[in-house]
Amino acid sequence: MASSVSGERKVSVSHSRSARGTTPRVHDLASTPEAPRTPQYRSSSGLYGSPGGSFRTEDDYVVIELGSRYVKGGFPGESSPRCTLSFGPDEQRRVGDYRQWDPAYTQRRRKRPHSWSWGQEYELYPLDLRDVDVGLVGDKFQRAMREAYTKYFMLDPKPRRVLLAMPPRMPHALIATVLEVLFESCHAPSVTLLSSPLLATVAAGLRSALVVDIGWAETVVTAVYEYREVSERRSVRAGKPLSEQMAKLLNTQLDDDAAPGSPKSNVSFEEANEVLTRVGWCKTRPKSNRRTLYFPAREAPVLDEFEDAPEAPDPTITIPFPRHSPPTELTIMFADLAKPAEKVLFSIETPLSEFDDNELPLHHLIYRTLLSLPIDVRRHCMSRIVITGGVSAMPGLKTRILAEVDALVQQRGWDPVRSYGTASARHEQLIRQQKEKLAVQREEGDDSLSSMSDPSNPDPPSLPAGLQKQELDQIDAKLEQQALKHGPPPPCSTGGVIRGVETLGVWAGASLVAQLRVKGIVEIDRDRFLKDGLHGASREKDVSVVPQRQSMGPNVVGGKGERAGWTLGVWA
Amino acid sequence: MAQPFPYTYYACDCYESRFQSPLAKRNSRAPAEDEEERTFDPSNPRSNYSLFPLEHLLYCEDCRQIRCPRCVVEETLNWFCPSCLFEVPSSVVKSDGNRCTRNCYNCPVCTAPMTVSSLEDPADPSPSGGPYILSCPYCHWSTEEIGIEFEKPTGITGQLAKIANGGKPMQTQKERDKERERRKEAERARRQDRLTGSGDEPPQSNTGSPPHDDVFASLSSFYKSQLAAQTPSNPFSHDVSFTSPSSFSRIMNLYSNPKKQKRDKPTPMREAASALEGLTLHDPTVDTATIERLKTCGWSSTLSSTQQLAQPPGAHFTSSLRPIATLLHTKRGKRCATCRHILSKPESKITSTRYKIKLLALNHIPRLSLRYLSPLPITPNHPVPQTPNPANFSYDNITSGLPIHFLLHLSNPLFDPIRVTLATPSTTPGKIASAVTILCPQFDVGANTDVWDDALGVDPPRSGSVTSASDGQIEAGKVWDRGRNWTSVVIEIVPGFKKSVTSGWKVPGAGGERERGEGSAEQGDDLDEDDDVLEIPIFVRIEFETDVLGEERGEERGGAKEGLKEKREEAFWTVVGVGRIAG
Repeated sequence: MASSVSGERKVSVSHSRSARGTTPRVHDLASTPEAPRTPQYRSSSGLYGSPGGSFRTEDDYVVIELGSRYVKGGFPGESSPRCTLSFGPDEQRRVGDYRQWDPAYTQRRRKRPHSWSWGQEYELYPLDLRDVDVGLVGDKFQRAMREAYTKYFMLDPKPRRVLLAMPPRMPHALIATVLEVLFESCHAPSVTLLSSPLLATVAAGLRSALVVDIGWAETVVTAVYEYREVSERRSVRAGKPLSEQMAKLLNTQLDDDAAPGSPKSNVSFEEANEVLTRVGWCKTRPKSNRRTLYFPAREAPVLDEFEDAPEAPDPTITIPFPRHSPPTELTIMFADLAKPAEKVLFSIETPLSEFDDNELPLHHLIYRTLLSLPIDVRRHCMSRIVITGGVSAMPGLKTRILAEVDALVQQRGWDPVRSYGTASARHEQLIRQQKEKLAVQREEGDDSLSSMSDPSNPDPPSLPAGLQKQELDQIDAKLEQQALKHGPPPPCSTGGVIRGVETLGVWAGASLVAQLRVKGIVEIDRDRFLKDGLHGASREKDVSVVPQRQSMGPNVVGGKGERAGWTLGVWA
Repeated sequence: MAQPFPYTYYACDCYESRFQSPLAKRNSRAPAEDEEERTFDPSNPRSNYSLFPLEHLLYCEDCRQIRCPRCVVEETLNWFCPSCLFEVPSSVVKSDGNRCTRNCYNCPVCTAPMTVSSLEDPADPSPSGGPYILSCPYCHWSTEEIGIEFEKPTGITGQLAKIANGGKPMQTQKERDKERERRKEAERARRQDRLTGSGDEPPQSNTGSPPHDDVFASLSSFYKSQLAAQTPSNPFSHDVSFTSPSSFSRIMNLYSNPKKQKRDKPTPMREAASALEGLTLHDPTVDTATIERLKTCGWSSTLSSTQQLAQPPGAHFTSSLRPIATLLHTKRGKRCATCRHILSKPESKITSTRYKIKLLALNHIPRLSLRYLSPLPITPNHPVPQTPNPANFSYDNITSGLPIHFLLHLSNPLFDPIRVTLATPSTTPGKIASAVTILCPQFDVGANTDVWDDALGVDPPRSGSVTSASDGQIEAGKVWDRGRNWTSVVIEIVPGFKKSVTSGWKVPGAGGERERGEGSAEQGDDLDEDDDVLEIPIFVRIEFETDVLGEERGEERGGAKEGLKEKREEAFWTVVGVGRIAG
């Protein structure tokens, strides 16, 4: 971001006048220790342009976030998207097919198309493209875009650039399809691709983060360090199995309620999803007692508060099922509604060795990602865990994930060795000793520890690095002093503890980036794309290397002026 | 489909033909056959995107092609609120967004338009007639439920922006921005005084997480200030005045030469450090409070997913509902995407429903329709089990295996006689294969004339058509009936069996014995929602001769100016929905 104001044509750092309420003020500048100076806002828009030339140019972006079940679209500088479009069967009907407005239709339960997996008809695209007609994906996306443009954006015919937020590791066939729609039917002059974990980081106000995106088809844990994706792990434990599990739960409950002999209930996707979003929740702390082993009493003050939360006198919730035949109401234990999340996302009961590599429970996934990071990066990431994605709105889930990860760290430290075999008893004893020592030390010098910088070198291997007493390094201290002069207050360098940070979401991040007129690395020109398709990109693969020296990382950098070629960056 | 049977859809092949980039070909998993050879498959999910009712199609007279909603370019002519019919200028749309900023609101529960009503106590009338509320006449939700009352019946948007749910005053965005700056300033002062003690920490956001908009505004201003702080690290930024654009660009030219570029590495911008800068730490109490609330309030206090989508992000409970300002609508003109000619243009007056230009496909494309032909003995010795009379023939309940005759009716909107060639695959694509035969696939349709000609008896009455088969004989190769500008031919359909794929013992023609309850049929087989709909793809090709210069826009009767005739043809796929196969 640093050099987005450097030598190129559209220099203006967004004088965002039109954005609702986010009028920038000159005294923003006062927040920096620099001397007052003339702001460079809209200084020049080219060689012969007058200073006001680029005044309105901010408007000509459209921000689109692409997800596997929803597409969000809106304008830069706005805090929330103008529209969120879904891809249910009702959105895919022919023109002139008005059955969804038929009152009787809403009362009927929809049948899942045969041989389709759970919720497949609600997806824009599955990640397994083997049996997918990419053209159909294009059709769906085009219809959604058309609706967004005409119904929600309501733009004048001027073509707008598109800032497209997309998960990294998107199949190229899908990227090509999506781009084609944007270029062909939305007439975008250029499309900038930004990866969604990065944007979630931006929207959290951070530079480094561990972004946990609990999406529909999979959960992706991405470690972002200084706006660069450094590591990534995935698990299939995400929204899809979660809603399927909820459907199973509801089915069994409904069958228990139903009169004997009645046909088996078969809850539709919508019903399960509705229950999940409305009353689904997640226990904020696990039941297991394993943490008593390692938790000194003072370590979990937050958790203790809610000790009795799930065990209160068995409240129930009544859920109406108007589409059930006959229409019915189901009274279900409130605690039961937390079971799907428990089972699908955490699977506490199953031993870890049972899991495949791609279906790790979330807390293990996060832990392993952290474990695989270099120690400096880990220090930053572990205290900036950003949980986002559709499922993350479930009450209690974030707290639970953080608590689980914290427990894992407490239990294991940062030790990649999981079993010491015969030496394990000794090892555990060692850890316990370390921990007690640490607890004492912490009580003595709590504040000094928190504002400390990186641990320079790990001591004996058995000691978990994250829990070590950090060495006082003279140079570090000096550097810190130096850094303080430049403004960052101490909380900036928080590290070494598990901490969650809220994000505004990927779309808001994209909106921020577009508003600040940060130029993306992956910027695809309409003409170039239409000429060669995605293959045009491969020639200039090293474009992404150069800007890594910039401060915003490889995906978000300041403009480099006209580029000879374009690259696909992380998507290449 | 939900249109009443029988219906006709017209396929627009715009997407395939216009965007036939090599890329699209490579990506699409369409069979590698030649485009020309491929029959249209209405059961393919992609067909949903290329089929349109005739009324939805436009026609470009320059490209001589059907233009569907996908292959037109739309341009917005004006914006208006559908509720108050107030025209909104485009500048306001840009600055204030796509919602009505007056008094128009939709119910957040049921989306019905809300009305402003007075809560005035008759015993104690207030001077203003207030307080007022917004209430929904359909579901009776009102802003009273979220504790919002208005002082005036007008300017609801302005008032609503100042009241939070529960009736507490809310700061507007500007005030909040100011407040944030003030607090930032205070914090900085405190820091510089080295009063870092935690004694007078600024009061953290009192309840729950700060609102989405607030955080966004904080983040946005934080990033802006960071970017601004970065600027001086450029080598040319210190001593040069930037006020003059010319000097600026000259210096830019000097320095933007990439070879000479040697700037010191910019100090990395820092991340947000406090709530004022947009950093929100995860707060477990928010989660537990939500769960607690779920537990006590139950299902009815939560928002459905559609309601949530319409609300600002983060809304979970009914208490956080806000009335939704009415989405503006637009009047749009449509242009052909290829030649940019205007295809339709509405009158700019909001209340007018008329069009200045409207080139409908209706006026250029023959209309196909299907109608049940009351069964007559086809062969004398073939017993027809039950002869449903035409009045109560149910298109929703077609018996498998029995040949049924339908009349395919083709009417010509053109003022030239046309020659029609129909083609259809002998069995319908899709899961249920039905046999289809068009008995007379090639025929002529008379020219359209003024409607009065018909009434004045210029043409023979319709029953007296030359080739009429009204004696009941259905003959291959002969049209059934013919009128002024229409012709009807017979099409014979043998509906397939639902089970024909899986169980081979069912012989076509033995459908009478298949008496199955509909419920069991639904459960047993592997048919999806619309698989039992009998749809016939028909390829229509018309040929006609028309005046070279004769523009069809109304002076077609004026006669050929030069007498030159030009041969033209049109070809397109249609899909005729016959009905639903019962089993």
